[in-house]
Amino acid sequence: MFKVAQELIGILGIDQRRLRLEWVSSSEGARFAEVVTGFTEQIKELGPCGLKQAA
Amino acid sequence: MAELANLIEATSTYFCLDCGVCTGSCPVARVFPQFSPRQIIERSLYGIEDFSDESIWDCLTCAQCSVRCPVNIDFPEFVRLFRDEAHGRGYSGVPTHNGMLQSIWAIQTMDIQQNRTFWVQEGKVAEKGDIFYFVGCRPYFDVIFRDIDAGSIKGAQNVLKILNACGIEPVVSNDERCCGHDALWNGDEETFKRLASINLEIIKASGAKKVVFSCPEGYLIFKRFYPKYFGDLGFEPVHILDFLAEQLKEGALEFKEYEGVVTYHDPCRLGRMAGIYDPPRELIMAIPGIEFREMTRARENGVCCGTSGWINCSGYSKEIQVERLSEAAATGAGALITACPKCQIHFRCAKAASDLEVDIIDLYDLFSANLNISQ
Ligand code: SF4
Ligand code: SF4
Repeated sequence: MFKVAQELIGILGIDQRRLRLEWVSSSEGARFAEVVTGFTEQIKELGPCGLKQAA
Repeated sequence: MAELANLIEATSTYFCLDCGVCTGSCPVARVFPQFSPRQIIERSLYGIEDFSDESIWDCLTCAQCSVRCPVNIDFPEFVRLFRDEAHGRGYSGVPTHNGMLQSIWAIQTMDIQQNRTFWVQEGKVAEKGDIFYFVGCRPYFDVIFRDIDAGSIKGAQNVLKILNACGIEPVVSNDERCCGHDALWNGDEETFKRLASINLEIIKASGAKKVVFSCPEGYLIFKRFYPKYFGDLGFEPVHILDFLAEQLKEGALEFKEYEGVVTYHDPCRLGRMAGIYDPPRELIMAIPGIEFREMTRARENGVCCGTSGWINCSGYSKEIQVERLSEAAATGAGALITACPKCQIHFRCAKAASDLEVDIIDLYDLFSANLNISQ
Protein backbone atom coordinates (compact mmCIF):
# COMPACT_ATOMS: atom_id res chain seq x y z
CA MET A 1 0.00 0.00 0.00
CA PHE A 2 2.84 2.37 0.85
CA LYS A 3 4.50 1.74 -2.49
CA VAL A 4 1.19 2.45 -4.24
CA ALA A 5 0.74 5.72 -2.37
CA GLN A 6 4.31 6.75 -3.17
CA GLU A 7 3.89 6.00 -6.85
CA LEU A 8 0.60 7.89 -6.94
CA ILE A 9 1.98 11.05 -5.39
CA GLY A 10 4.82 10.78 -7.90
CA ILE A 11 2.33 10.90 -10.77
CA LEU A 12 0.52 13.76 -9.07
CA GLY A 13 3.80 15.65 -9.05
CA ILE A 14 4.34 15.66 -5.29
CA ASP A 15 7.91 15.00 -4.14
CA GLN A 16 8.09 11.36 -3.08
CA ARG A 17 10.42 12.22 -0.21
CA ARG A 18 7.43 13.78 1.52
CA LEU A 19 6.03 10.36 2.25
CA ARG A 20 7.74 7.88 4.49
CA LEU A 21 6.82 4.68 6.25
CA GLU A 22 8.84 3.34 9.15
CA TRP A 23 7.98 0.77 11.76
CA VAL A 24 9.16 1.57 15.26
CA SER A 25 8.33 -0.61 18.23
CA SER A 26 7.13 0.92 21.49
CA SER A 27 10.39 -0.07 23.15
CA GLU A 28 12.53 1.90 20.70
CA GLY A 29 12.10 5.43 22.06
CA ALA A 30 15.45 6.65 20.82
CA ARG A 31 14.85 5.31 17.34
CA PHE A 32 11.40 6.91 17.22
CA ALA A 33 12.93 10.29 18.06
CA GLU A 34 15.61 9.78 15.44
CA VAL A 35 13.13 8.86 12.70
CA VAL A 36 10.77 11.73 13.46
CA THR A 37 13.59 14.26 13.73
CA GLY A 38 15.13 13.01 10.52
CA PHE A 39 11.85 13.20 8.65
CA THR A 40 11.03 16.64 10.05
CA GLU A 41 14.41 17.90 8.91
CA GLN A 42 13.91 16.45 5.48
CA ILE A 43 10.52 18.13 5.13
CA LYS A 44 11.95 21.45 6.32
CA GLU A 45 14.66 21.13 3.72
CA LEU A 46 12.11 20.48 1.00
CA GLY A 47 10.19 23.57 2.08
CA PRO A 48 6.46 24.19 1.66
CA CYS A 49 4.65 21.68 -0.52
CA GLY A 50 3.24 24.48 -2.64
CA LEU A 51 -0.07 22.82 -3.37
CA LYS A 52 -2.51 25.57 -4.11
CA GLN A 53 -5.82 25.83 -5.84
CA ALA A 54 -5.43 26.17 -9.58
CA ALA A 55 -6.62 29.55 -10.80
CA MET B 1 -38.62 21.00 1.84
CA ALA B 2 -38.08 23.44 -0.99
CA GLU B 3 -34.96 21.69 -2.29
CA LEU B 4 -36.83 18.45 -2.63
CA ALA B 5 -39.57 20.21 -4.55
CA ASN B 6 -36.95 21.70 -6.89
CA LEU B 7 -35.53 18.28 -7.51
CA ILE B 8 -38.93 16.87 -8.34
CA GLU B 9 -39.57 19.78 -10.65
CA ALA B 10 -36.21 19.47 -12.39
CA THR B 11 -36.69 15.79 -13.18
CA SER B 12 -40.51 15.76 -13.54
CA THR B 13 -40.78 12.89 -11.09
CA TYR B 14 -44.36 13.95 -10.37
CA PHE B 15 -45.28 12.00 -13.50
CA CYS B 16 -44.43 8.78 -11.66
CA LEU B 17 -47.17 6.15 -12.04
CA ASP B 18 -45.97 4.12 -9.09
CA CYS B 19 -45.76 1.15 -11.44
CA GLY B 20 -42.55 -0.30 -10.00
CA VAL B 21 -40.92 -1.00 -13.36
CA CYS B 22 -37.81 0.81 -12.10
CA THR B 23 -37.42 -1.35 -9.00
CA GLY B 24 -38.29 -4.45 -10.99
CA SER B 25 -35.50 -3.60 -13.47
CA CYS B 26 -32.89 -2.50 -10.96
CA PRO B 27 -29.84 -4.75 -10.55
CA VAL B 28 -29.27 -3.49 -7.01
CA ALA B 29 -32.87 -4.16 -5.94
CA ARG B 30 -32.57 -7.71 -7.22
CA VAL B 31 -29.75 -8.57 -4.85
CA PHE B 32 -30.66 -6.07 -2.12
CA PRO B 33 -34.46 -5.89 -1.91
CA GLN B 34 -34.50 -3.04 0.65
CA PHE B 35 -33.30 -0.75 -2.13
CA SER B 36 -36.13 0.64 -4.20
CA PRO B 37 -36.00 3.55 -6.67
CA ARG B 38 -39.81 3.55 -6.73
CA GLN B 39 -39.95 4.06 -2.99
CA ILE B 40 -37.33 6.80 -3.08
CA ILE B 41 -39.47 8.62 -5.63
CA GLU B 42 -42.68 8.01 -3.69
CA ARG B 43 -41.14 9.23 -0.44
CA SER B 44 -39.90 12.33 -2.27
CA LEU B 45 -43.34 13.02 -3.75
CA TYR B 46 -44.95 12.70 -0.33
CA GLY B 47 -42.32 15.05 1.09
CA ILE B 48 -41.09 12.49 3.59
CA GLU B 49 -37.75 11.75 1.96
CA ASP B 50 -34.72 13.09 3.78
CA PHE B 51 -31.32 14.10 2.43
CA SER B 52 -29.74 11.86 5.06
CA ASP B 53 -31.19 8.77 3.32
CA GLU B 54 -28.22 6.46 2.84
CA SER B 55 -29.84 4.36 0.17
CA ILE B 56 -29.41 7.14 -2.38
CA TRP B 57 -25.69 6.24 -2.48
CA ASP B 58 -26.43 2.60 -3.34
CA CYS B 59 -27.77 3.49 -6.78
CA LEU B 60 -25.33 2.64 -9.58
CA THR B 61 -26.77 5.42 -11.75
CA CYS B 62 -26.79 2.80 -14.49
CA ALA B 63 -30.03 3.98 -16.14
CA GLN B 64 -31.53 0.52 -16.41
CA CYS B 65 -34.64 1.89 -14.71
CA SER B 66 -34.90 5.08 -16.72
CA VAL B 67 -34.73 3.44 -20.15
CA ARG B 68 -37.75 1.36 -19.14
CA CYS B 69 -39.75 3.93 -17.19
CA PRO B 70 -43.06 4.42 -19.04
CA VAL B 71 -43.03 8.16 -18.31
CA ASN B 72 -39.30 8.68 -18.96
CA ILE B 73 -38.26 9.68 -15.48
CA ASP B 74 -34.49 10.15 -15.46
CA PHE B 75 -33.79 8.53 -12.12
CA PRO B 76 -29.97 8.70 -12.40
CA GLU B 77 -30.30 12.46 -12.88
CA PHE B 78 -32.64 12.62 -9.91
CA VAL B 79 -30.01 10.75 -7.88
CA ARG B 80 -27.25 13.08 -9.07
CA LEU B 81 -29.17 16.18 -8.03
CA PHE B 82 -30.24 14.55 -4.77
CA ARG B 83 -26.60 13.68 -3.98
CA ASP B 84 -25.51 17.21 -4.80
CA GLU B 85 -27.96 18.57 -2.23
CA ALA B 86 -27.05 15.85 0.29
CA HIS B 87 -23.33 16.52 -0.23
CA GLY B 88 -23.92 20.18 0.56
CA ARG B 89 -25.41 19.05 3.89
CA GLY B 90 -22.40 16.95 4.74
CA TYR B 91 -23.61 13.54 3.60
CA SER B 92 -21.72 11.24 1.29
CA GLY B 93 -21.49 7.67 0.11
CA VAL B 94 -18.96 5.25 1.53
CA PRO B 95 -15.79 5.81 -0.51
CA THR B 96 -14.10 2.66 -1.78
CA HIS B 97 -10.34 2.14 -1.32
CA ASN B 98 -10.35 4.43 1.74
CA GLY B 99 -11.17 7.45 -0.39
CA MET B 100 -7.94 7.18 -2.41
CA LEU B 101 -9.67 8.04 -5.68
CA GLN B 102 -11.51 10.99 -4.13
CA SER B 103 -8.17 12.32 -2.84
CA ILE B 104 -6.55 11.90 -6.23
CA TRP B 105 -9.17 13.94 -8.03
CA ALA B 106 -9.22 16.55 -5.25
CA ILE B 107 -5.44 17.04 -5.62
CA GLN B 108 -5.96 17.46 -9.35
CA THR B 109 -7.95 20.64 -8.72
CA MET B 110 -4.64 22.10 -7.51
CA ASP B 111 -1.87 23.76 -9.42
CA ILE B 112 0.30 20.67 -9.91
CA GLN B 113 2.89 19.39 -12.38
CA GLN B 114 1.88 15.80 -13.02
CA ASN B 115 3.92 12.99 -14.51
CA ARG B 116 0.97 11.20 -16.08
CA THR B 117 2.30 10.67 -19.58
CA PHE B 118 5.04 8.24 -18.47
CA TRP B 119 3.27 5.52 -20.47
CA VAL B 120 3.88 7.13 -23.87
CA GLN B 121 6.87 5.07 -24.87
CA GLU B 122 6.48 3.84 -28.41
CA GLY B 123 3.60 5.81 -29.84
CA LYS B 124 3.72 9.15 -31.57
CA VAL B 125 2.14 12.12 -29.85
CA ALA B 126 2.13 15.86 -30.46
CA GLU B 127 2.29 18.99 -28.31
CA LYS B 128 -0.29 20.81 -30.37
CA GLY B 129 -2.67 19.70 -33.06
CA ASP B 130 -6.22 19.19 -34.24
CA ILE B 131 -6.84 16.01 -32.28
CA PHE B 132 -6.47 15.61 -28.55
CA TYR B 133 -6.54 12.17 -26.97
CA PHE B 134 -8.15 12.49 -23.53
CA VAL B 135 -6.59 9.55 -21.72
CA GLY B 136 -8.53 9.77 -18.47
CA CYS B 137 -7.51 8.20 -15.19
CA ARG B 138 -5.79 5.12 -16.61
CA PRO B 139 -2.30 6.14 -15.34
CA TYR B 140 -3.63 6.23 -11.78
CA PHE B 141 -5.76 3.10 -12.11
CA ASP B 142 -2.77 1.20 -13.40
CA VAL B 143 -0.91 1.79 -10.14
CA ILE B 144 -3.85 1.34 -7.78
CA PHE B 145 -5.13 -1.85 -9.36
CA ARG B 146 -1.86 -3.51 -10.21
CA ASP B 147 -2.62 -6.36 -7.79
CA ILE B 148 -5.62 -7.42 -9.86
CA ASP B 149 -3.71 -6.94 -13.08
CA ALA B 150 -5.98 -4.14 -14.30
CA GLY B 151 -3.66 -3.41 -17.23
CA SER B 152 -5.07 0.10 -17.51
CA ILE B 153 -1.98 1.59 -19.10
CA LYS B 154 -1.69 -1.12 -21.67
CA GLY B 155 -5.16 -0.01 -22.83
CA ALA B 156 -3.98 3.60 -23.28
CA GLN B 157 -0.87 2.45 -25.14
CA ASN B 158 -3.04 0.37 -27.44
CA VAL B 159 -5.46 3.22 -28.10
CA LEU B 160 -2.47 5.33 -29.12
CA LYS B 161 -1.18 2.54 -31.32
CA ILE B 162 -4.58 2.34 -33.06
CA LEU B 163 -4.75 6.12 -33.52
CA ASN B 164 -1.21 6.15 -34.93
CA ALA B 165 -2.16 3.31 -37.28
CA CYS B 166 -5.01 5.51 -38.54
CA GLY B 167 -2.47 8.23 -39.25
CA ILE B 168 -3.26 10.33 -36.19
CA GLU B 169 -0.64 11.75 -33.87
CA PRO B 170 -2.80 13.10 -31.09
CA VAL B 171 -1.98 15.63 -28.41
CA VAL B 172 -1.50 13.87 -25.08
CA SER B 173 -1.17 16.25 -22.16
CA ASN B 174 0.64 15.94 -18.87
CA ASP B 175 -1.69 18.62 -17.51
CA GLU B 176 -4.91 16.75 -18.22
CA ARG B 177 -7.10 16.34 -15.15
CA CYS B 178 -9.71 13.83 -14.07
CA CYS B 179 -12.80 14.59 -16.18
CA GLY B 180 -14.86 15.08 -13.02
CA HIS B 181 -17.39 12.37 -13.81
CA ASP B 182 -17.07 10.73 -10.44
CA ALA B 183 -16.99 13.97 -8.48
CA LEU B 184 -20.21 14.96 -10.23
CA TRP B 185 -21.91 11.65 -9.44
CA ASN B 186 -20.60 11.84 -5.87
CA GLY B 187 -22.63 15.04 -5.52
CA ASP B 188 -19.49 17.23 -5.52
CA GLU B 189 -20.34 19.76 -8.20
CA GLU B 190 -17.73 22.27 -7.03
CA THR B 191 -14.87 19.84 -7.60
CA PHE B 192 -16.36 18.79 -10.92
CA LYS B 193 -16.42 22.39 -12.10
CA ARG B 194 -12.83 23.02 -11.03
CA LEU B 195 -11.57 19.93 -12.86
CA ALA B 196 -13.62 20.69 -15.93
CA SER B 197 -12.45 24.27 -16.25
CA ILE B 198 -8.78 23.22 -16.07
CA ASN B 199 -9.38 20.58 -18.76
CA LEU B 200 -11.11 23.09 -20.99
CA GLU B 201 -8.21 25.50 -20.68
CA ILE B 202 -5.66 22.84 -21.51
CA ILE B 203 -7.57 21.63 -24.54
CA LYS B 204 -8.04 25.18 -25.74
CA ALA B 205 -4.31 25.82 -25.45
CA SER B 206 -3.59 22.71 -27.52
CA GLY B 207 -5.60 24.10 -30.42
CA ALA B 208 -7.54 20.84 -30.77
CA LYS B 209 -10.78 20.77 -32.73
CA LYS B 210 -11.65 17.22 -31.79
CA VAL B 211 -11.13 15.43 -28.51
CA VAL B 212 -11.05 11.65 -28.74
CA PHE B 213 -12.07 9.49 -25.81
CA SER B 214 -11.75 5.80 -25.18
CA CYS B 215 -13.29 6.11 -21.71
CA PRO B 216 -17.10 6.08 -21.82
CA GLU B 217 -17.39 8.25 -18.71
CA GLY B 218 -15.03 10.91 -20.02
CA TYR B 219 -16.90 11.00 -23.30
CA LEU B 220 -20.32 11.27 -21.66
CA ILE B 221 -19.25 13.98 -19.28
CA PHE B 222 -17.66 16.11 -22.03
CA LYS B 223 -20.54 15.53 -24.38
CA ARG B 224 -23.44 16.04 -22.06
CA PHE B 225 -22.32 17.80 -18.89
CA TYR B 226 -19.49 20.16 -19.89
CA PRO B 227 -21.77 22.08 -22.30
CA LYS B 228 -24.44 22.21 -19.62
CA TYR B 229 -22.08 24.04 -17.26
CA PHE B 230 -19.75 25.83 -19.71
CA GLY B 231 -21.75 26.35 -22.92
CA ASP B 232 -20.08 25.89 -26.28
CA LEU B 233 -16.81 24.00 -25.85
CA GLY B 234 -15.17 25.09 -29.07
CA PHE B 235 -14.26 21.51 -29.98
CA GLU B 236 -16.07 18.27 -30.69
CA PRO B 237 -15.93 15.32 -28.28
CA VAL B 238 -15.62 12.11 -30.30
CA HIS B 239 -15.80 8.58 -29.02
CA ILE B 240 -13.08 6.48 -30.58
CA LEU B 241 -15.56 3.68 -31.37
CA ASP B 242 -17.60 6.01 -33.58
CA PHE B 243 -14.39 7.10 -35.26
CA LEU B 244 -13.14 3.53 -35.76
CA ALA B 245 -16.49 2.34 -37.08
CA GLU B 246 -16.22 5.10 -39.70
CA GLN B 247 -12.68 4.02 -40.55
CA LEU B 248 -13.90 0.46 -40.92
CA LYS B 249 -16.64 1.52 -43.34
CA GLU B 250 -14.10 3.42 -45.40
CA GLY B 251 -11.92 0.31 -45.56
CA ALA B 252 -9.11 1.93 -43.62
CA LEU B 253 -9.02 -0.76 -40.93
CA GLU B 254 -8.03 -4.33 -41.42
CA PHE B 255 -7.81 -7.06 -38.82
CA LYS B 256 -5.89 -10.31 -38.60
CA GLU B 257 -7.43 -13.70 -37.77
CA TYR B 258 -8.53 -14.31 -34.21
CA GLU B 259 -9.62 -17.72 -33.18
CA GLY B 260 -12.14 -17.78 -30.39
CA VAL B 261 -15.59 -17.04 -29.09
CA VAL B 262 -16.19 -13.70 -27.40
CA THR B 263 -19.02 -11.74 -25.89
CA TYR B 264 -19.32 -8.02 -25.18
CA HIS B 265 -20.36 -6.05 -22.10
CA ASP B 266 -22.09 -2.70 -22.77
CA PRO B 267 -20.81 -0.06 -20.33
CA CYS B 268 -23.79 1.97 -19.09
CA ARG B 269 -22.19 5.33 -20.00
CA LEU B 270 -21.44 4.15 -23.51
CA GLY B 271 -24.65 2.22 -24.18
CA ARG B 272 -27.72 3.48 -22.39
CA MET B 273 -26.34 6.97 -21.80
CA ALA B 274 -24.54 7.67 -25.10
CA GLY B 275 -26.38 5.26 -27.39
CA ILE B 276 -23.19 3.66 -28.75
CA TYR B 277 -24.24 0.03 -29.22
CA ASP B 278 -23.43 -0.91 -32.81
CA PRO B 279 -19.87 0.38 -33.38
CA PRO B 280 -18.18 -1.99 -30.88
CA ARG B 281 -20.14 -4.93 -32.29
CA GLU B 282 -19.37 -4.02 -35.91
CA LEU B 283 -15.69 -3.70 -35.10
CA ILE B 284 -15.49 -6.96 -33.15
CA MET B 285 -17.30 -8.82 -35.92
CA ALA B 286 -14.91 -7.36 -38.49
CA ILE B 287 -12.13 -9.47 -37.01
CA PRO B 288 -11.91 -12.54 -39.23
CA GLY B 289 -12.47 -15.85 -37.49
CA ILE B 290 -13.95 -14.34 -34.36
CA GLU B 291 -17.24 -15.77 -33.16
CA PHE B 292 -19.38 -13.20 -31.41
CA ARG B 293 -22.18 -14.23 -29.06
CA GLU B 294 -24.56 -11.90 -27.24
CA MET B 295 -25.40 -12.34 -23.60
CA THR B 296 -29.08 -12.50 -22.71
CA ARG B 297 -28.90 -9.05 -21.19
CA ALA B 298 -27.29 -6.94 -23.91
CA ARG B 299 -27.55 -3.45 -25.38
CA GLU B 300 -30.34 -1.49 -23.58
CA ASN B 301 -30.65 -4.38 -21.14
CA GLY B 302 -26.94 -4.82 -20.48
CA VAL B 303 -26.53 -5.03 -16.74
CA CYS B 304 -24.16 -2.65 -14.93
CA CYS B 305 -20.69 -3.77 -13.79
CA GLY B 306 -21.83 -3.44 -10.18
CA THR B 307 -20.30 -0.29 -8.75
CA SER B 308 -19.80 3.29 -9.84
CA GLY B 309 -18.17 6.55 -8.77
CA TRP B 310 -15.87 4.75 -6.31
CA ILE B 311 -18.51 4.64 -3.62
CA ASN B 312 -20.59 1.94 -1.94
CA CYS B 313 -18.91 -1.12 -3.41
CA SER B 314 -20.30 -3.99 -1.38
CA GLY B 315 -21.08 -7.68 -1.36
CA TYR B 316 -24.03 -6.75 -3.56
CA SER B 317 -21.65 -5.35 -6.15
CA LYS B 318 -19.71 -8.60 -6.11
CA GLU B 319 -22.93 -10.56 -6.53
CA ILE B 320 -23.89 -8.49 -9.58
CA GLN B 321 -20.40 -8.88 -11.04
CA VAL B 322 -20.09 -12.62 -10.51
CA GLU B 323 -23.56 -13.11 -11.97
CA ARG B 324 -22.53 -11.07 -15.00
CA LEU B 325 -19.35 -13.09 -15.46
CA SER B 326 -21.37 -16.32 -15.23
CA GLU B 327 -23.72 -14.93 -17.87
CA ALA B 328 -20.72 -14.29 -20.11
CA ALA B 329 -19.36 -17.78 -19.50
CA ALA B 330 -22.79 -19.30 -20.20
CA THR B 331 -22.67 -18.02 -23.79
CA GLY B 332 -19.71 -20.36 -24.31
CA ALA B 333 -17.41 -17.38 -24.86
CA GLY B 334 -13.85 -17.69 -23.71
CA ALA B 335 -13.58 -13.94 -23.25
CA LEU B 336 -15.71 -11.07 -22.09
CA ILE B 337 -14.80 -7.90 -23.98
CA THR B 338 -15.11 -4.66 -22.04
CA ALA B 339 -14.96 -1.13 -23.42
CA CYS B 340 -14.52 0.75 -20.16
CA PRO B 341 -11.41 0.78 -17.96
CA LYS B 342 -13.59 0.65 -14.86
CA CYS B 343 -15.77 -2.25 -16.00
CA GLN B 344 -12.49 -4.03 -16.63
CA ILE B 345 -11.23 -3.31 -13.11
CA HIS B 346 -14.51 -4.33 -11.48
CA PHE B 347 -14.76 -7.57 -13.41
CA ARG B 348 -11.13 -8.48 -12.88
CA CYS B 349 -11.59 -7.84 -9.17
CA ALA B 350 -14.68 -10.09 -9.06
CA LYS B 351 -12.94 -12.73 -11.14
CA ALA B 352 -10.01 -12.81 -8.74
CA ALA B 353 -12.47 -13.81 -6.01
CA SER B 354 -14.28 -16.47 -8.04
CA ASP B 355 -13.35 -19.60 -9.95
CA LEU B 356 -14.92 -18.53 -13.24
CA GLU B 357 -12.98 -19.41 -16.36
CA VAL B 358 -13.88 -16.48 -18.62
CA ASP B 359 -11.10 -14.03 -19.60
CA ILE B 360 -11.70 -10.31 -19.41
CA ILE B 361 -10.21 -8.45 -22.37
CA ASP B 362 -10.09 -4.74 -23.06
CA LEU B 363 -11.61 -3.94 -26.45
CA TYR B 364 -8.59 -1.83 -27.44
CA ASP B 365 -6.16 -4.57 -26.45
CA LEU B 366 -8.10 -6.90 -28.75
CA PHE B 367 -8.15 -4.42 -31.64
CA SER B 368 -4.52 -3.51 -31.28
CA ALA B 369 -3.35 -7.14 -31.10
CA ASN B 370 -5.30 -7.96 -34.27
CA LEU B 371 -4.71 -4.83 -36.28
CA ASN B 372 -3.10 -5.24 -39.69
CA ILE B 373 -0.96 -2.16 -39.93
CA SER B 374 -0.46 -1.42 -43.58
CA GLN B 375 0.85 2.15 -43.46
S1 SF4 C 1 -40.74 3.09 -13.61
FE1 SF4 C 1 -41.11 5.30 -13.73
S2 SF4 C 1 -43.31 5.51 -13.44
FE2 SF4 C 1 -42.81 3.43 -12.76
S3 SF4 C 1 -42.46 3.64 -10.52
FE3 SF4 C 1 -40.47 3.86 -11.52
S4 SF4 C 1 -40.22 6.07 -11.81
FE4 SF4 C 1 -42.40 5.70 -11.41
S1 SF4 D 1 -29.95 3.75 -12.01
FE1 SF4 D 1 -29.55 1.52 -11.98
S2 SF4 D 1 -28.98 1.11 -9.83
FE2 SF4 D 1 -29.98 3.12 -9.85
S3 SF4 D 1 -32.10 2.69 -9.40
FE3 SF4 D 1 -31.90 2.74 -11.64
S4 SF4 D 1 -31.57 0.60 -12.23
FE4 SF4 D 1 -31.19 0.75 -10.02
